[in-house]
Amino acid sequence: MQIFPLHPFLPEGDIPALRQQVRDLVAQHEAKWPVELRANCWFSFDEEFSKALGAAGLLGMTWPKQYGGHERTMLERYVVLEELLAAGAPAGLHWIADRQTGPLLLRYGTEAQREKYLPGMARGEIYACIGLSEPGSGSDLASVRTSAKKTNEGWRINGQKVWTSGAHKSHAALTLLRTEEGSERHTGLSQMMIDLDTPGITIRPIIDMTGTHHFNEIWFEDVLLPHDALVGVEGNGWKQVVAELALERSGPERYLSSHMLLVALIDAVGPEPDAPTAQLIGRLTAEMWTLRQMSMSTIAKLAAGEDPVVEAAIVKDLGNAYEQALPRAVQAAVDADLAGKSDLSRLLSWILVASPSFSLRGGTPEVLRGIIAKGLGLR
Amino acid sequence: MSDNRTLLTDMAAGLFADLARKPFAEAWPQVAEAGFSTLLVPEDAGGFGGDWGDVLAVLRLAGLNALNAPLAEPVIAHYLLAKAGIAAPEGLVSISAPGSRVPYGRHAAAVVHVEGGTLSLYRADACSFDEGLSPAGEPWDAVTFTGAAAATAACDVDLQALGAFARVAQASGALEAAFTLAIDHVNTRVQFGRALAKFQAVQQAMAEFSEEAAAVDASAAACAAALDYGHASFEIAAAKLRMGIAVDRAVPIAHRMHGAIGFTIEYALNHLTRRLMGWRSEFGGDAFWAERLGRRVAGLGGHGLWREMAARTDRLVG
Repeated sequence: MQIFPLHPFLPEGDIPALRQQVRDLVAQHEAKWPVELRANCWFSFDEEFSKALGAAGLLGMTWPKQYGGHERTMLERYVVLEELLAAGAPAGLHWIADRQTGPLLLRYGTEAQREKYLPGMARGEIYACIGLSEPGSGSDLASVRTSAKKTNEGWRINGQKVWTSGAHKSHAALTLLRTEEGSERHTGLSQMMIDLDTPGITIRPIIDMTGTHHFNEIWFEDVLLPHDALVGVEGNGWKQVVAELALERSGPERYLSSHMLLVALIDAVGPEPDAPTAQLIGRLTAEMWTLRQMSMSTIAKLAAGEDPVVEAAIVKDLGNAYEQALPRAVQAAVDADLAGKSDLSRLLSWILVASPSFSLRGGTPEVLRGIIAKGLGLR
Repeated sequence: MSDNRTLLTDMAAGLFADLARKPFAEAWPQVAEAGFSTLLVPEDAGGFGGDWGDVLAVLRLAGLNALNAPLAEPVIAHYLLAKAGIAAPEGLVSISAPGSRVPYGRHAAAVVHVEGGTLSLYRADACSFDEGLSPAGEPWDAVTFTGAAAATAACDVDLQALGAFARVAQASGALEAAFTLAIDHVNTRVQFGRALAKFQAVQQAMAEFSEEAAAVDASAAACAAALDYGHASFEIAAAKLRMGIAVDRAVPIAHRMHGAIGFTIEYALNHLTRRLMGWRSEFGGDAFWAERLGRRVAGLGGHGLWREMAARTDRLVG
């Protein structure tokens, strides 16, 4: 039994040209990006760049043309993503709409919802966030309490979401709600697309330990939504969310969060590093190279219509471990001035502090290893 | 992929399973008889006409069964001799890379040595061996050439890298076998009134083990694809290094899962883990490959690393 049967990554089209298109676009915008913005870049915001990506046809790439998409393959989209992440291009604004919300609306949304949101998302102008966690509902997502009550005028929403990334920059939140009063666990849940300018919604910042604002709390006080805010089937919310999370776990972002630090290390030590530093660069390269092979295999499997749950969890767990160990390894090896002004100093200081978040989003190692163990038949 | 791969792997899987735990004297004649040595020799030269993907598949099975016989060595030696247009001698031909011992040297009829762009074929009577054993008891013999080469030819192949690839391929199989033993053990061994597998700590450790085995498989496959394309120096350096990391992380878990049972000479695990620990050092250890790969990457520059990685996989798509 091979644990991780490899799937060949064989994208169609001119892949080097596609890479060059992304690299050229990055080159046009990168002068205004400080190094901190390029680290952990899927939480960094640059509206102009998001719109430029949209104009270049690099958002909503796989979506149908009738909704503003470009009908390209998942593998082409993967190439664009990995290029953006390896370059540390700020992707935070369009990230969730492009990766999760758009595809979910395509799969479960009504025609009206698709027409309302997708073309703007593909242009890099409409941004989305995901309302899942609540104060009493973190890893155990099935315990959500925020409720939606069906009335004659529409849905009445009451409750609170927390840890909502990018809510303050988003136009809408795809939100998991308890639509059946008294229901428990996975039943009675539904998803709704909530425009964040609806009266009764309050968004408050939660500043994270890097000093950055990307988390938020969202309060819903008697918020009235139209009946057609429901996405998919009433009561089917859990199944839809699980599908949404699978989209979250499969990408190249799971090993590249610290990549700009490796770039800075290589540039700082120059073409002839001492032996220990060369060895460190070699070890990190070997891990990254291998992770990329595994990530490519996983996306190729997804693109072929398979459901590589275990593979995706393996890539994410190993990838997070790598991107978290990277700053610690650099710190241990290099006599770095963490208060210094060099790119290396600034990136190291920033990523050391940001790195605990890498294994939170999309599941901690314990959660992921539980998924793997289940796949191995151990539970 | 070679058309005959399924045939080949079916045959190898059956034979190697039969030979598992058999001593060299019993195993080698049957491996030789089966004709694996000419796996990479073109069909028109009387060989099997296989590719590096075939080599990976067969070596993986050899590692999985802890085969007590050389396989990578004659495959690589015959490949290099065929490329050089030198007729291969009868019997076992092993390989000698500078700085590495000759696996199964004492049993070899001849040794292919590659150094400084030259391939030299030495017959056994031109070799003197300082015999040694790997941690798994495999013959690891340091060679001194005491006589003249029987033949020489120009050769631009990095033999140490091919040896390193072979050990990665074998390690991928050995890790799977060790993993399977551990899974079977934790599923059947009952302690505190339940199977070990039901303990969350055990599940987490086994998940970690599976990740390491997966990583070695992925890095080995990348080597084979690159070798079939033509250049694999980057891929092999990365893979040998990644294998070292995997051995470092996975071998302790394999033994932890088994407790004292896995530490006995009788139980199958040690034949796998001792080999894994030995192969980590053979044909260049972690430090060697890390420095080589690191220097290469340093020469590419910060953003050059990503460009190189992307180009190396894009070339295979074509």
